[in-house]
Amino acid sequence: MSLDISFIGILIGSIMASSVPLILAASGELITERSGVLNLGVEGMMIIGAISGFALMVITDNLFIAIVGSMLSGVIISLIFGFLTQSLLTNHVATGLALTIFGIGLSAMLGKNFVGIPGKEFPILFSSLRESIPFFGPILFGHSIVLYFAFALPFLTNYFLKKTKLGLVVRAVGDSPVSASNQGINVILVRYCCILYGGAMCGLAGAYLSLIYTPQWIENMTAGRGWIALALVVFATWSPIKVLIGALIFGGITILQLHMQAIGFRIPVQFLSALPYLMTIIVLVVISRDSRKIKLNTPTSLGRIFYKEK
Amino acid sequence: MATDLRISNISKIYPGCVANDNVSLQFKSGKIYALLGENGAGKSTLVKILSGVISPDNGEVFLNEKNLKLSSPLDAKKNKIGMVFQHFNLFETLSVFENLSIDATEDNKSLRVRINEILKKYNFSIDLDVPVLNLSAGQKQKVEIIRCLLRSPKVLIMDEPTSVLTEQETEELFISLKKFCDEGILIIYITHKLKEVLSLCDEVAVMRKGKVVSVSQTQNEKVETLANKMVGQKLAKIKKKINISKNKDEIFKVKHLNFYSDDPFETNLVNLNFSVKKGECLGIAGISGNGQNELFQILSGEIITPDTSIIFRNKEIAKLNPKQRREYLMAFSPEDRISQAAVPELKIYENVALNNFKSSNFFEKGLVNERKIKEHSKKILSDFSVNTDNVELKSQFLSGGNLQKLILGRELITAPELLICYNPTWGLDVGAINYIHETLIKINDQEKSTILISTDTEELLKLSDRIAVIYKGKLSKIMPSEEVTPEKLGVLMGGGSID
Repeated sequence: MSLDISFIGILIGSIMASSVPLILAASGELITERSGVLNLGVEGMMIIGAISGFALMVITDNLFIAIVGSMLSGVIISLIFGFLTQSLLTNHVATGLALTIFGIGLSAMLGKNFVGIPGKEFPILFSSLRESIPFFGPILFGHSIVLYFAFALPFLTNYFLKKTKLGLVVRAVGDSPVSASNQGINVILVRYCCILYGGAMCGLAGAYLSLIYTPQWIENMTAGRGWIALALVVFATWSPIKVLIGALIFGGITILQLHMQAIGFRIPVQFLSALPYLMTIIVLVVISRDSRKIKLNTPTSLGRIFYKEK
Repeated sequence: MATDLRISNISKIYPGCVANDNVSLQFKSGKIYALLGENGAGKSTLVKILSGVISPDNGEVFLNEKNLKLSSPLDAKKNKIGMVFQHFNLFETLSVFENLSIDATEDNKSLRVRINEILKKYNFSIDLDVPVLNLSAGQKQKVEIIRCLLRSPKVLIMDEPTSVLTEQETEELFISLKKFCDEGILIIYITHKLKEVLSLCDEVAVMRKGKVVSVSQTQNEKVETLANKMVGQKLAKIKKKINISKNKDEIFKVKHLNFYSDDPFETNLVNLNFSVKKGECLGIAGISGNGQNELFQILSGEIITPDTSIIFRNKEIAKLNPKQRREYLMAFSPEDRISQAAVPELKIYENVALNNFKSSNFFEKGLVNERKIKEHSKKILSDFSVNTDNVELKSQFLSGGNLQKLILGRELITAPELLICYNPTWGLDVGAINYIHETLIKINDQEKSTILISTDTEELLKLSDRIAVIYKGKLSKIMPSEEVTPEKLGVLMGGGSID
């Protein structure tokens, strides 16, 4: 195997593709957490998104409906979480864990009849440019629309949080729901919206896996990516751009270590498999060690139950 | 235009507590009104109703004869009622400007211009682009005030605004409030501090147990009359008879107490020597930050210092930890009730059990005897007139006075021979202070001893048999309290000498 320039281009392209579900799920969860809600159900919402997207694709044979349907299913399942935590004031952690377990079980049940059905090819954009430009071609072109969206999302999220009025409201609610409520902000409504948005992004992340990345349904196919996304949000100290960096490092090292295993490096396989986790944590800890910034970015009320005085 | 705010027959009932009982009041612009009452008298409930945070069970609010429906904070804002809460309603991680812009209807540019106008007009200096958590308490309060002023309010309500301010910040606040008043803003000032009422306000309404008990002109009132109205009974003048204790045994003796620390926020202690006799109260005066913290921690065993000798009831205890010292019948009441004396998240009875490991049969074979602890806690609650009988209540919901009573009660159930307390009445209202003082005197009457470390000279002169002053970690000579005057203490506390 030669390490020429075009191979590196293809490698980077595949790294980008593998980090898309992490970017999507983590960006969604980031908004949810910024409003003060800790939803540990990311994995469950992703897997529900994956099966419903795939099932809709098989049934309707329409990829657009499949993608939108996966997001809707993410919204619906996160609505359960929202209702429990915001209206019935249940504990965020326990409810989120339950959501994940529920999602994995439900997806396995729904997916029984879809195992082994081949997926459909997802349209890719600018495929001619991909071949004609060396190095940059495979990096910049020939991807699905979802990938382009995913890579724009952290920047959009950053803009939303820092520059828009609504973003300010979300941050305010996450900082101090009591103050926000006393200022006349409808805290419960804001949090509901953030939870549903997080659900939609997780659903989309799941659909990316089952429709685009590995177009088929396999039970438990998210394989812990939801948990990685959750960890990314925390280690990136709630900064969207750092989430993107973290997801790329994780995806990159995952792909690289697979190549290293294939080449037959004399490093224990177990260590190589652990490498993405280790490196992601190390890098994110190093780039986010400014304690002042951590304090400013951390949603102070994260995971705390808010109820309005009557 | 003149503003006229009328509250009519407001009632608000919480389970087990009538917070507001048929409250009617009238306010007119051009004056500063005080709403005075002890903690838990219902002042905060009333202002929460006025600001739309909670809705009353009964009653109406009229602004210029218009009946206001205040069902959310937005309604109060729309009707130009501004409110500065006791616990700031700011977003700590957002910048000052973001805090102010969150409910603004105009664009950021013109908002900034307006904020700068207000800053200039009232001589406030605040950097708009730093996060609020970097501001001092006084600055945070100014941000809250600016937020109200941006909406050109007719009514401005201040809920215990000086509880977190330094003296200088308080003065600045009073100047601003008087300015606002001259500009026609109706100001309602909620407090339990009597002196502030007299120096700032024109009219004063006193609340007690949810009811308005008196409305009067401030110029006709004095500290004593207001205090009596607030507490609802004539406050007994407490004066302790000095113990003639020359021949009594020394129960507690400290020799060569030295403490050295690298931490610039700690004070070094230099060769302290003192003793306490049976049934005596030794007062230690001083401006805070002169080594009282360190002294308390050493006496309680939180810090162990080498070469110090502490003899208590003829035993050397300098190397013992707080738990062991308690077993020798010492008891402690630290300054910070919430973080040092009690665990706010724990229930009352759990806090009671916390420091009574050996003395009682609260624990058997490693198990908690809940029934015994609860029984005992109930006894403390009633003996020390804590304003609840629910031992399941989390301690954080007790007011400062009630929490302090609980802590003292807990410390005293072991019948200690020596109680060491540090600022036991800090931040409490008059009624609670009186109660604590009576309790401390009673201890001495029972031939038990106390060490009272306090920054309140009045309190020290009232309770101590002998007084010493701590200044920069050094202790003055110990004087019988009949020879001490407030002036003498003042000189010593400032580092002077009086010989």
